[in-house]
Amino acid sequence: MWMLSEMVTNLIAFIILGVLLYLDYRFSWKEWIGWILIWITAISVLGAVWSLISPFLLYKNWRFDADEEFLQLKSGVLNEVHELVPMTKIQSVATKQGPLLRKYGLCSVSIETMGSSHSIPALPKEVAIKLRNQIAQYAKIKEVVQ
Amino acid sequence: MTKAKRYNPLLMLFNFCKLIRNSIFFVIYFFVIKAGSESTFITYGRIVFFIAFGLTLISIILKWFTHKFELDNRSFHLYKGIFSKSERTIPFSEIQNVNRHTSLFHRIFKVTSVNFETGIAGGDADVRFEVISQKEADRMESHMKSTVQEELATIHASEYKDIASVEAEVKKGISNRTNHYKPTKKDIIKASFTSLSFLVLIPLISSFYFKINEIFHVENEAVGIFEKLIGSWWMVTFIIIVLVIASITFGIVRTFLKYGNYQVSSDHDRIYITKGLIDETAFSISKEKVQAIEIKQSIMKRILGLAEVKLTSAGGLSSEEDTLEINSLYPYLPVKRAYEMVSEILPFYEITQKMTPLPIKSFWVRILWPSWLWIIATVFLLYFKPTVLEVEETWWMLSAILLIIIFVSRLLDFFNTFYILNDHFIQFKKGSMATSLFVSKRDKIIEVNVTRNIIQKMLGLASIGTINRAKPVHHAGINHVSIEMADAFYKWYMERRNEIKVE
Repeated sequence: MWMLSEMVTNLIAFIILGVLLYLDYRFSWKEWIGWILIWITAISVLGAVWSLISPFLLYKNWRFDADEEFLQLKSGVLNEVHELVPMTKIQSVATKQGPLLRKYGLCSVSIETMGSSHSIPALPKEVAIKLRNQIAQYAKIKEVVQ
Repeated sequence: MTKAKRYNPLLMLFNFCKLIRNSIFFVIYFFVIKAGSESTFITYGRIVFFIAFGLTLISIILKWFTHKFELDNRSFHLYKGIFSKSERTIPFSEIQNVNRHTSLFHRIFKVTSVNFETGIAGGDADVRFEVISQKEADRMESHMKSTVQEELATIHASEYKDIASVEAEVKKGISNRTNHYKPTKKDIIKASFTSLSFLVLIPLISSFYFKINEIFHVENEAVGIFEKLIGSWWMVTFIIIVLVIASITFGIVRTFLKYGNYQVSSDHDRIYITKGLIDETAFSISKEKVQAIEIKQSIMKRILGLAEVKLTSAGGLSSEEDTLEINSLYPYLPVKRAYEMVSEILPFYEITQKMTPLPIKSFWVRILWPSWLWIIATVFLLYFKPTVLEVEETWWMLSAILLIIIFVSRLLDFFNTFYILNDHFIQFKKGSMATSLFVSKRDKIIEVNVTRNIIQKMLGLASIGTINRAKPVHHAGINHVSIEMADAFYKWYMERRNEIKVE
């Protein structure tokens, strides 16, 4: 699933690059612009290769847990990020679904706190809705105003 | 408490003065500089200016008629809008701090401006009264305070017996304000040297000098006299001495105006900071709403043994330019006094001087971590190879110097970095030249994270970070602590469940 969305992004990027390269050729822009474009293309080819591998790794390493007090999120392979958010500080939860996600019956859950926003990508729809409702339930509990 | 009221009529005058001030530039441009011009741009410009001026004038008057406010027992109600009406309700409990600013204009009419600041995100976050009589401001502030107190009292019903006694306590509190700090003349002089504000005069004077030079060059006759003046050495020294004295007095006067009337005081539950001789500003914050404390020292301050204590508040400090400084208890406190004062004013905050340094492993990571700044700078230098002072090899010298500076600052940073988890407080200290010490309570931290990149993983290190409420949210953290520490930090935050009170 993540692979798909990565692929779509890559495709769009390549189309834009292709158009730019064509324009460069067609209207013979300054030389250095051409060089920069070639560099960007090279880098994005590398990126595309990486994006074929990375979704598996990312998927394998994404963990989340919600209990009455905390929401824990853990993600990343090379850069591992481990976040701990108290339920009482969560302001809103929402499930989101783009056209791609809808096709596969998936949902991502996004969580807004006072200070930041987090999202849990691509969960099966039922799981996502259950999680959303659960977090909403837990987040209802209020701390005494401080 | 009251029926919906209009704002003070002087507000119209105030806004009118502001309008005049803002339009001065246009007036000068259109009617003085371009006085004789007949070009279409200028003619239309004048017309547009008159229309805009007129419309603003009308809107000022209409605004006064339509904008109203109301206070009840729990909240502010603000009504506004000429064509589309809007009503806003802001509960007192959301108000984080109160900011009062009395400029010269306000002085003349014996009024003041008050800002009740909230932690709400977005533009319309604060309740602002730009012109209001002193008495009314006092009344509103104390009204807000007492109602918040009552609410608290109903929540902690066990702590207080009944509301009446709380009210009595509030009244007592006002008379009970204890002064914590009032700078003496010596302190101010010291401060003026630390802030280097006398240096401000140097660019002013030099630009003045060049201006004079220009004028004298234009008028050829005067050149002779001027050069004679400059030529004699004693005249030059005399001028320099005068300039030095002038700039020092200027610096002292500036600092005096800014910090002259400085006063930090507190009562049972609020902290008050007032400052300024001509433009008076007063800031007050409830002690419970202090999210974190920061003790900052710049290099000058470290040499002179001074420090600045900053209170982090969730309310924005949005109103005027110098508001960045307003949340600090006096910025030039002697270090020892600074620590004492924190424990006096905020007895539930503890600062320990004993802190843990970073592990040695982290030293190498810090030193050997590639510096992007250096790499980019070197690439640039290599590419352009600038020649300074006719030396061809400048580029690698500059790059080497930059590298050395980066290394030294990293070294200093390593030796200045400390952290500790102390019961329910967390303390970070960092910085190479200027240091800052960050202290926060567990229940004020709204989020934590632990991150590890691949190298940190191999070495058993981690970076920890906290997020506090502020505007914008305050991120603090420390890189490359040991993994055990990161674990402890994580568990420490989990312990939060024991101390928060749930409604």
